[in-house]
Amino acid sequence: MQELREVLLNTLLAAGLYATMSYGLAVIYGVMRIINLAHAGLMMLAAYVTFALYTRYEMDPFLSLVVVIPLFFLLGVLLHRFVVRRLPRTTGTPTMQSLLLLFGVWLVLQNLAYALWTGDTQSILTPYTLKSVTLLGVRVGVPNLLVFGVSALSLLALNFVLKRTYLGRAIRAVTQNRDAALLSGIDADRLSAITFGAGTAFAAIAGTSLSTLYAFTPDFGRSFLLKAFCIIVLGGMESFTGVAAGALVLAFLENALAAWTPIPTSFQDAISFTLLVLVLVAVPQGLPGIARKVARWRASS
Amino acid sequence: MSLLEVRGIDVFYGNVQAIREVSFDVAGGEIVTVIGANGAGKSTTLKTLAGLMKPRKGTILFGGKDVTGLAPFDLVELGLVLIPEARQLWPGMTVLENLELGAYGKRARRERAGTLETVFGMFPRLRERLRQNAGTLSGGEQQMCAIGRGLMARPKLLLLDEPALGLAPMLVREVFKSLRTIRDQGVTVVLVEQNVSHALAIADRAFVLETGRVTLSGPARELARDRRVKDSYLGFASA
Repeated sequence: MQELREVLLNTLLAAGLYATMSYGLAVIYGVMRIINLAHAGLMMLAAYVTFALYTRYEMDPFLSLVVVIPLFFLLGVLLHRFVVRRLPRTTGTPTMQSLLLLFGVWLVLQNLAYALWTGDTQSILTPYTLKSVTLLGVRVGVPNLLVFGVSALSLLALNFVLKRTYLGRAIRAVTQNRDAALLSGIDADRLSAITFGAGTAFAAIAGTSLSTLYAFTPDFGRSFLLKAFCIIVLGGMESFTGVAAGALVLAFLENALAAWTPIPTSFQDAISFTLLVLVLVAVPQGLPGIARKVARWRASS
Repeated sequence: MSLLEVRGIDVFYGNVQAIREVSFDVAGGEIVTVIGANGAGKSTTLKTLAGLMKPRKGTILFGGKDVTGLAPFDLVELGLVLIPEARQLWPGMTVLENLELGAYGKRARRERAGTLETVFGMFPRLRERLRQNAGTLSGGEQQMCAIGRGLMARPKLLLLDEPALGLAPMLVREVFKSLRTIRDQGVTVVLVEQNVSHALAIADRAFVLETGRVTLSGPARELARDRRVKDSYLGFASA
């Protein structure tokens, strides 16, 4: 019983962060049909910026989001304006050019970090980094709780924008049917720039969050990018709830396998990779595909 | 003066030419229908007018202004709106969201509430389905929603691509009736329709596209009696 509670609570805490980093990818994919391979690099860069703000100006990592979010939004808009926008426009599947281009951006960011901060492992140690509290009978790290709070707020904000504002509805419209969006007077180019900025800002929120939980180097972020891929493949690229469900499934599997099987936690990354392959082979449409099948089966019987 | 003047446009898909030197005029306040077989270039013509495709040659004047090569959202802002083939609604959004997004442009957004009432007046069924996802509507309701979304943009010129496609005869009549109402409210209509006899019945003028060229044009009533039109496009429907 105690173990179950532990697994469920840890699942929830991890899923919040996983969803935050996945939405950044999903929203960009939805509007532009581009897989942002630089996502990991942007998370890493945000971790370093948070680190710099902490060591230079003693700014609390969570407070630094006030600087980091607008900074990375701007970075994303500029990346779109000067790099991504030059890609040939696609409506269907991501092109090789877009994958290579953003992979290149990742490499540039990595080397930039090596040049600025060297390859040494860095970490942010705040007075509360090692503190923990008891919640529902489970000991939880204070940074983990704060990260969950940040994720929850970000997701609520994103959901509000997507559902309630003209801008967010336009983003959903382009995702669901691009031509119809253009014909309704939506300026897809401007919207793409804003979306790329928002996706980058979400990468930064995830990066700052991660920097309070883990040590990092310029290579940081790769395994988290993989997790985000796994979640998106599982949840489908185009639905808000799908991504949340994908994040929950992955977080649950990681925690459950660590608690109830002899698989060591150092194998955690292997779980997302295995799941990614299994999903692609067995249910390539992911959870929404399964939901549709169940609905059809229930309708027909 | 004509509201729309198309002067010798050539349009290509890659290296394949779909439209050859097409020219025609549409006067304000009329319903014009474009007749032609599958692949004659009707949809391409509409897509080009709406800015989804760019002509390689020729010019398009709208309200006397050169709009050749403008982006779709610029054209919508000017009042040139296409309701595309197969409705193209946003299936995961509600009927209300679909309609409201139709009024995305600055000009249309100011008049959103009023236009919404006009649309409900024309299609009362949409009001009942307001909170339902557009993907769950019946074919006829989806078409009403698509027309409604187009009207939300406050068009001066409304282009419709096959609005009656796949609808039951009763609904076809309703859709065509709504086009008359739309025209009576001062909106000019260009209609592409497989259902040629219906289209000719409500149109003021018509022209025939064959393999990317205009081969025949004139008042709709005359074209309905034309032997070539009867033989090629009206089939047994005219007998």
